[in-house]
Amino acid sequence: MIKKILFWFVVVMVAVWFLTPVIMIVIASLTPSSEYYNPNKIFPSHLTFEHIYKLLFVLGGWKATLISIEVALVAIGLSFLIGLPAGYAMTRYFFPGKNAIRIGILMTRSIPLIVIAVPLIVIYMEIGIADTVIGVALAHTAMILPFVVLITSSIFSGVSVEYEEAGMVFGLSRFQSFMRITLPLALPGLAASAIFSFIMSWNEVFVASILTLTNRTLPAHILNTAMTSPDYFKFAAGTIMAIPAMVFIFFTRKYLITMWGISLK
Amino acid sequence: MAKVKIENLKKYFGKVKALNGIDLEIGDGEFVVLLGPSGCGKTTLLRSVSGLEKVTEGRIFFDDKEITNLPPKDRNISMVFQSYAVWPHMKVRDNIGYPMKIKGFSKEEIEKKVLWAAELLNISELLDRYPAQLSGGQRQRVAVARAIVLEPAVLLMDEPLSNLDALLRVKMRSEIKKLQERLGVTTIYMTHDQVEAMTMGDRIAVMLSGRIQQVGKASEIYHKPANIFVAGFIGSPQMNFYKVKTVSEGANLFVEGEGLKVPIKKDPNVDKLVLGIRPEHIYLEKEENTMEIEVEVYFIEKLMSDTIVHANLDGGSRIVAKIPGDHEFKEGEKIKLYIDKERIHLFDPKTERRLDI
Repeated sequence: MIKKILFWFVVVMVAVWFLTPVIMIVIASLTPSSEYYNPNKIFPSHLTFEHIYKLLFVLGGWKATLISIEVALVAIGLSFLIGLPAGYAMTRYFFPGKNAIRIGILMTRSIPLIVIAVPLIVIYMEIGIADTVIGVALAHTAMILPFVVLITSSIFSGVSVEYEEAGMVFGLSRFQSFMRITLPLALPGLAASAIFSFIMSWNEVFVASILTLTNRTLPAHILNTAMTSPDYFKFAAGTIMAIPAMVFIFFTRKYLITMWGISLK
Repeated sequence: MAKVKIENLKKYFGKVKALNGIDLEIGDGEFVVLLGPSGCGKTTLLRSVSGLEKVTEGRIFFDDKEITNLPPKDRNISMVFQSYAVWPHMKVRDNIGYPMKIKGFSKEEIEKKVLWAAELLNISELLDRYPAQLSGGQRQRVAVARAIVLEPAVLLMDEPLSNLDALLRVKMRSEIKKLQERLGVTTIYMTHDQVEAMTMGDRIAVMLSGRIQQVGKASEIYHKPANIFVAGFIGSPQMNFYKVKTVSEGANLFVEGEGLKVPIKKDPNVDKLVLGIRPEHIYLEKEENTMEIEVEVYFIEKLMSDTIVHANLDGGSRIVAKIPGDHEFKEGEKIKLYIDKERIHLFDPKTERRLDI
């Protein structure tokens, strides 16, 4: 009995700990500006989408959202184009220096992106892709790629090599066997890692802020505009940022968990 | 259906010689078992024939066509994998029909052959299930059905029964053998289980260290093992081995050592020898051509159908005898056993090869 009470107490505390700020942000973003600074009101008398609307359609948030999506899609496309074959090779083949490469890939994660952002903008200006979608997308590819290589390699190792070999024995070439047997079996995990990559790019703010000026991604745009606006705009920005990521994670949580090799009952 | 000819096949993984010169000919429709302990190279040999492994040296022919460097898909082979490798994202029906779908058969033809194969394997009622809904034994049947649906030139089986429970294994053993006879498909079957090898194979190839140690019918391998390894690997319990020397007393020749003295007919022209006696060729009753020995019982294993007696010889060496029926012996008891003089084996300890006497 005491165990049970303790268990639920911890559950509630953890939920409150994580959810309170999110709920507060959402409520604050929906509070009418006249009531927001009223010290006598904790909860607003009615909710309004005015701030979110203004942020999106008056202050350029919608354009930034589209750029964010574009950047994320290009970054995912590029990092899967390179990372998927690399991950496959890491799992299925033995070659000299494999472990060194694996550790090398991990090492790149230890360099903060902000460190390379400044030299990067210099190079970008020279080759003329500063302040472009492709420029940010390339930087994000560099950030996502190591993750994609390591995760896809672990996803492919979860698909028994015998399935693929069976495909080859029964008349497929290696590539066909990969496309028709391995890929469909790995798809849920790959989709989850694609969504996770999307969120990595969606949430990245430093590099995007440095590399762009007019074509800002959503977080960079928010950092620039909303932070100099009244508080309720900041909260509206927070809501816009948080909701898509939360919805994605809600729908893919099962695959995200298997992707990391953890299993829940 | 095809003959298979393997010529001087070698496969090195770095410095490891997984296959070190394999020569083997398999007749059309023959069932050959590759038998050997783990690490003997039988997996590599099977994978080389399938094309999943590239060989370092040597050639493989199906009938008279060389296929050494062809990819697996162009070899007209099929395979039953140890883990079955039944594709989890396809229904049983699609799994069995997939090899035909790849080759571009019409839907009607595929359906007809799938039903035929499913009927043969007794899985007709499972066709619309997914592999996850099947037991291990059922999945195995699906794997076999998929392997025979296209009537391959050569059917390869990679320890297909090793993941089944003991009862099912015995049942599938006879079923696969019957099926193979009925289809007449050339089959290479790999196993480390000597009972499977003995009961299923038309011929058995015993392997060790990347070489075939002996190829032959089960009876040849059992009665005339080519070397010490084959003699010890086949048969359970293992053959008794003793270090002996030849001695002559007048006109009679003997081998003697470790408390044993057994007459032999012909001079092997080797001083030092290894004498091998199978436990089942040691009897409790005196019979024709037997030789009496006195031993002290050390330990017995009662299998009810047989009694396995571990006993000590005069010289302190151990002897194991397999006596039919349920017998009672006390530890330390002195008993008389009778060695079948006609069924002893002699080996040269240097070359480890069999000496015919």
